[in-house]
Amino acid sequence: MKGRLAALLVSAAVSFSANGAEPDPLESPLWDYMRTQFIGDDAYVFDDRVKVGLPEFAEDPTQVPIMVDASALSGNIKQIITWADLNPIQHIFTYYPHPEIVPRISLRIKVQQGTAVRAAVQTKDGVWHMGGSYLDAAGGGCTAPSAANSDPYWESHLGEMKSRFFAKEEGGRYKFKVIHPMDTGLVNAIPEFYIQQVAVRNQQGESLARLELSQPVSENPVITFDVRDKNQKHSVWLRDNSGNEFGRDL
Amino acid sequence: MKRFALSALVTAMTVAGAAQAGVTDKDILNDQMSTGDVLTNGMGLRAQRYSPMDKINTKTVKDMRPVWAFSFGGEKQRGQESQPMVKDGVMYVTASYSRVFAVDTKTGDELWEYNARLPDGIMPCCDVINRGVALYDDLVIFGTLDAKLVALNNKTGKVVWKKTVEDYKAGYSITAAPIVVKGKVITGVSGGEFGIVGKVEAYDAKTGKLAWTRPTVEGHMGYIWKDGKKMENGISGGEAGKTWPGDLWKSGGAATWLGGTYDPDVDLLFFGTGNPAPWNSHLRPGDNLFSSSRLGIDPDTGKIAWHFQTTPHDGWDYDGVNELISFDYKANGKTVKAAATADRNGFMYVLNRENGDFIRGFPFVDKISWAKGLDAKTGRPIYDDANRPGNPADSKDGKKGKSVLAIPSFLGGKNWMPMAYSQDTELFYVPSNEWSMDIWNEPTAYKKGAAYLGAGFTIKALKDEYIGVLRAMDPKTGKEVWRFNNYAPLWGGVLATKGNLVFFGTPEGYLRGLNAKTGEVEYEFNTGSGIVGSPITWEENGEQFLSVVSGWGGAVPLWGGEVAKRVKHLNQGGTVWTFKLPK
Repeated sequence: MKGRLAALLVSAAVSFSANGAEPDPLESPLWDYMRTQFIGDDAYVFDDRVKVGLPEFAEDPTQVPIMVDASALSGNIKQIITWADLNPIQHIFTYYPHPEIVPRISLRIKVQQGTAVRAAVQTKDGVWHMGGSYLDAAGGGCTAPSAANSDPYWESHLGEMKSRFFAKEEGGRYKFKVIHPMDTGLVNAIPEFYIQQVAVRNQQGESLARLELSQPVSENPVITFDVRDKNQKHSVWLRDNSGNEFGRDL
Repeated sequence: MKRFALSALVTAMTVAGAAQAGVTDKDILNDQMSTGDVLTNGMGLRAQRYSPMDKINTKTVKDMRPVWAFSFGGEKQRGQESQPMVKDGVMYVTASYSRVFAVDTKTGDELWEYNARLPDGIMPCCDVINRGVALYDDLVIFGTLDAKLVALNNKTGKVVWKKTVEDYKAGYSITAAPIVVKGKVITGVSGGEFGIVGKVEAYDAKTGKLAWTRPTVEGHMGYIWKDGKKMENGISGGEAGKTWPGDLWKSGGAATWLGGTYDPDVDLLFFGTGNPAPWNSHLRPGDNLFSSSRLGIDPDTGKIAWHFQTTPHDGWDYDGVNELISFDYKANGKTVKAAATADRNGFMYVLNRENGDFIRGFPFVDKISWAKGLDAKTGRPIYDDANRPGNPADSKDGKKGKSVLAIPSFLGGKNWMPMAYSQDTELFYVPSNEWSMDIWNEPTAYKKGAAYLGAGFTIKALKDEYIGVLRAMDPKTGKEVWRFNNYAPLWGGVLATKGNLVFFGTPEGYLRGLNAKTGEVEYEFNTGSGIVGSPITWEENGEQFLSVVSGWGGAVPLWGGEVAKRVKHLNQGGTVWTFKLPK
């Protein structure tokens, strides 16, 4: 209720850039700073319709499942930016969903300590709709070496993907996993090495969704997303910061 | 936060650098005489490593001093064999472990860096080194230890394209700087100790599309791509089995691990090839083409125009990879289109670069034991059969052949470190080493990804006082004009300038400037770690700059036998030093 009310207020006030009016519901010390980094001085509202699902406690700080759901704003979305305020590298991903894709996505991330995890959804009118949750964590996930660093398995299997499709009453859900160390560059003597770009394409080769990932996405990423047309076939294309490209029909 | 700072910086650079232009083929061809930049490995595609600048000269050099030093950082300090490049106020320099740095030439500030994520399974034989980048358009192109070619955007350091040249698990790697000729980036491969098959490949520099591939072992098919279609382009050497027995050509080595040079007058690439595999020569009777050779290759098609084999049927690991430097000289009123190379085997060769014909050859080291000399007409070595390691099959248990003392050692009278040619003195300045080895042969068999030598060895110094000798050699007479002796073996490149100076570095850490005519020491500065890189010089805002990379490493401390004792106290570094005269 509170979010919707704020949204109403702001949509009335947006023309004169009513930002910074509300305090951060997660009371993060870095809220103002991080917000400026990611959305600048743009107008924003806290909006309950933008959901960030997190476990109660990050059991494994290198593999924390998060779910971002902006389906209530479906069809009206320009982009979704997610970040974790207190991670050494804050940006997690930026998502550009096509209307044929349900703007709901799950993946796993690394966290360095307990932190607010945010999703900022920019609608076509330019306003940012802020959602977020607090993640409790013991920490250390970003500066621990990837498991790949002690096991050469990845060297022979880099970019290998597994995927599954789950038909639903309306549309369907893809879940795919790709082998990649996703090294953050924060561990001594291990250069950053991570998937930066993900694109989902339909049979005609049109891009339905574009995802820009950053280092906090977990090793061997598992990404789940929903499509509206379960009869369409889809493929996925990935590229890492080292220029390696991987593709697969889902 | 770094990403935001970086993108802000890049925006600022783009705005400030409106006058910047991409590197063109014309720029590359002019690099030999252009002073405002360094666009090619070798300071010109002929690789003469000569600069027409003379502000730093025998009179002024004593005042030369460092203006900045740039550390490669982290723990990856060792083995810095790179030659930096300079374009529009930015230095592009590689470091060990397949890293590239862009540095502001005015301040020494880092603009970006690229770190290849290398698999643990890489197999570089001779340290984790890299020798430099190629520049083309807005791309910075280099080869990695896992045998890939990577093209980075010159403003951001982000990957534009990346191609797998070969399978690192079979022993392939890339350490040499690629060169760009007529819009194609041309590279060789390393891995001669693992029974790989050497090759030269050309890729479209802007897109990374493969244009042609030329194997350097007789019997292997070359290919060319026309309109995206792969077409057969002739078997190297015509057919298999002419100079190799049985199937040994299938793992014949001849690695093109030091890259190549190019001369536009005759429109040929010059690539050298490494040892035939395995080292045990009794397993492969014959000349073993095209191992231990220099090849003239058509840059448009990848066809071999000519070859000159310095060590046919090599039995001492005398790779023929050392750079072939094009130069002209006058004889009997005529201009001779020549090219010179100082080989691992201790002989220096002057060839006709139009057709590969032998003009003359002569030793550039004090002693050679494996050959009695060169055939005056053909340049083919006259072997001393007593100094070829014995056949293990002749021994009682068949496990170890007779050991011989061979001079030079397998690390060569001269190794990879490039010499320079001065257009003023018409002399070659050759970084050389005086050492020997005990070498013996053993049985061996090829296994993918495993060392394929069939030999044991240990290196020894010939003299207590010195191993390294920088020599001024006259290519017309074969005479040594002067020499500078150095205690540790020399392992870095040489630069000659119009200022009558010859610059080079030593493992002891000194950057030295010698008088090009007399060899007198005019300058020295201790960079803090051993120099195994190649110096460059360029001009900016009317001032002459000189840079060299310091950072001890390379093959000597890994393979150096008894010589390792001479160098084990040398400390690691990993720093670019830049010098100029005071204003």
